[in-house]
Amino acid sequence: MIPVKDRIIKVTFNADVHASLQWNFRPQQTEIYVVPGETALAFYKAKNPTDKPVIGISTYNVVPFEAGQYFNKIQCFCFEEQRLNPQEEVDMPVFFYIDPEFAEDPRMVNVDLITLSYTFFEAKEGHKLPVPGYN
Amino acid sequence: MSTAMNFGTKSFQPRPPDKGSFPLDHFGECKNFKEKFMKCLRDNNFENALCRNESKQYLECRMERQLMAPEPLEKLGFRDLMDGKSEAKDNF
Repeated sequence: MIPVKDRIIKVTFNADVHASLQWNFRPQQTEIYVVPGETALAFYKAKNPTDKPVIGISTYNVVPFEAGQYFNKIQCFCFEEQRLNPQEEVDMPVFFYIDPEFAEDPRMVNVDLITLSYTFFEAKEGHKLPVPGYN
Repeated sequence: MSTAMNFGTKSFQPRPPDKGSFPLDHFGECKNFKEKFMKCLRDNNFENALCRNESKQYLECRMERQLMAPEPLEKLGFRDLMDGKSEAKDNF
């Protein structure tokens, strides 16, 4: 994979929790500048300020919508349950890259900002994770 | 921006990560490497290209402590940072 070095993209980070989840969850950087084809690391941080273990599970969203298909997560913390013990705080990494074909897509010509949003929900038995978008 | 009346528009399909989920670093074993990386970002206007050694070191830390499945670093986009590789460079 060859980086497209003349195409700098700003990636910004959002963090949300669903109302019933009492974690503190936030990105550790507001932005990072990458180019397509270059792998990048970014961090979120989560803390369970309660006195009981809490299990969370997250999903993510990418805007603009059309850029989402080029956003590849090699590894992150989403879609699997994550358990935080009382008062525990952890770093949560996201390792990703933007596909080099992004730079070939005429629809992406004016896209120089991509926003990655993660939302954590409490994982309970029988709880169905709401997936963004229409079903 | 398009209007709200676009039923039938494709919705965003979240995809699972290629290599799955990072186990949580409950004991902060790689926290120092994370701090080095974050400091590098802050010192370099958050330009990822200038902090790739630090990100490589963080991932190596995870691999050494079973916090990440071991993977050749060339396959994680760090081919250009590896020493002494004389074979022809493949693209992936």
